[in-house]
Amino acid sequence: MPLKLIIGNKNYSSWSLRPWIAMRATGIAFDEEVIPLYAEGSKENILKHSPAGKVPILIDGDTRVWESLAILEYLAERFPSAGLWPSDAKARAHARTISTEMHAGFVPLRSECGMNMARPHVKKALSDDAKANVARIETIWAETRAAYGAGGSFLFGKFSAADAMFAPVVSRFESYAVDVTPSTKAYMDAMRSLPAWQEWRSAGLKETWLLPQFEEFPREQRLRA
Amino acid sequence: MKLIIGNKNYSSWSLRPWIAMKAAGIAFEDIVIPFGTPIGNPDFKARLSAYTPAGLVPVLIDGDVHVWETLAILEYLAEKFPDKQLWPADTKARAEARAVASEMHAGFAALRGACPMNIRRPVRVRELPAAAQANAARIEAMWSGCLARHGGPFLFGRFCAADAMYAPMVTRFHTYGIKAGAAARGYIEAVMALPAFAEWRAGALEETWIVPEDEADWPTVLSA
Repeated sequence: MPLKLIIGNKNYSSWSLRPWIAMRATGIAFDEEVIPLYAEGSKENILKHSPAGKVPILIDGDTRVWESLAILEYLAERFPSAGLWPSDAKARAHARTISTEMHAGFVPLRSECGMNMARPHVKKALSDDAKANVARIETIWAETRAAYGAGGSFLFGKFSAADAMFAPVVSRFESYAVDVTPSTKAYMDAMRSLPAWQEWRSAGLKETWLLPQFEEFPREQRLRA
Repeated sequence: MKLIIGNKNYSSWSLRPWIAMKAAGIAFEDIVIPFGTPIGNPDFKARLSAYTPAGLVPVLIDGDVHVWETLAILEYLAEKFPDKQLWPADTKARAEARAVASEMHAGFAALRGACPMNIRRPVRVRELPAAAQANAARIEAMWSGCLARHGGPFLFGRFCAADAMYAPMVTRFHTYGIKAGAAARGYIEAVMALPAFAEWRAGALEETWIVPEDEADWPTVLSA
């Protein structure tokens, strides 16, 4: 039985993007089920799959894994050849460190710039705390690329779980026209050139579920697929 | 190995890898860098910057490897000391343990905010806002489920990284008198009866630093 990933709206659900792009970019086969968030019955529908009541959820036979980071660890163990974590122990420790920093951190940036792939790319004024998050993330990317990125365009050369964890940040930097350094821009371009990224984005732009609480612009200004 | 930590009385993130290592018998030296006041004061950041770029404790230092972030430290230790079984040996149980550990890592902000870890605070019931009550209910349901499925006395049988992640939550349930059923109460007692926990607690009680941001009753500081 193939793996199944339960996710929220592709336009808005940043947590869902993480395991999805990790699996797609490394060639792990899976079926997906989209549960539109904040819709009637969606909470109950999610709770049927996970006691934590949140997407994403990975179902592999009778094993259910919720929480993006736990899903990535599960996949890394189950599919060692996918190379989700770097093979070198020191690089792997660093990959997990920056992934967990993303997992529990950057709350001001996340709340001020919710992922919204269809948002017109208009600059938004950020609080000092969110600006500090942007600076910290740019530092993480630059230092990681400098220390471990020689073999390719991603944080550890080839695409890894750490890139999956930061994928929604690339989307936010793009959507909110955040000022970034040339090296950040190069990393964003690498992410955006992934077929997996384009597949997710294009599906997200085709979605018609509009969540007004996350929208700042009239519907007709939203980006289209 | 060295573990850089904050105040034992207040630093919930520091408690996690510390108790995981102590309970598993992994040798290390701890270095306490007290928060001082206010939290985030330049002196703390300056002393910490010698060890970590992220400006947060805990940090594990193993030769030229520096791991900041609690969950990454636990994963690093689990790989480096496989015989200590920081994660359950069974694949399905391990997946569940990582899920609940991650849920703790990124969640329960309302409860964490309402009930800061404060080991020396005498037990006093605290009224919780609805969001914090919902967090407590989810945690209790999760604990009870894990204990029922895996037989206790810890979440997955023997003490593991998931228990380390919830150790600060155990102290909060205790300190703030958060209501819990018999299974969860038994779990709270099991964690607090660990020699490793007793050692941490004794260290916390020796500290005299007061951090107003973590004193729920401020400007009153309750003491025994």
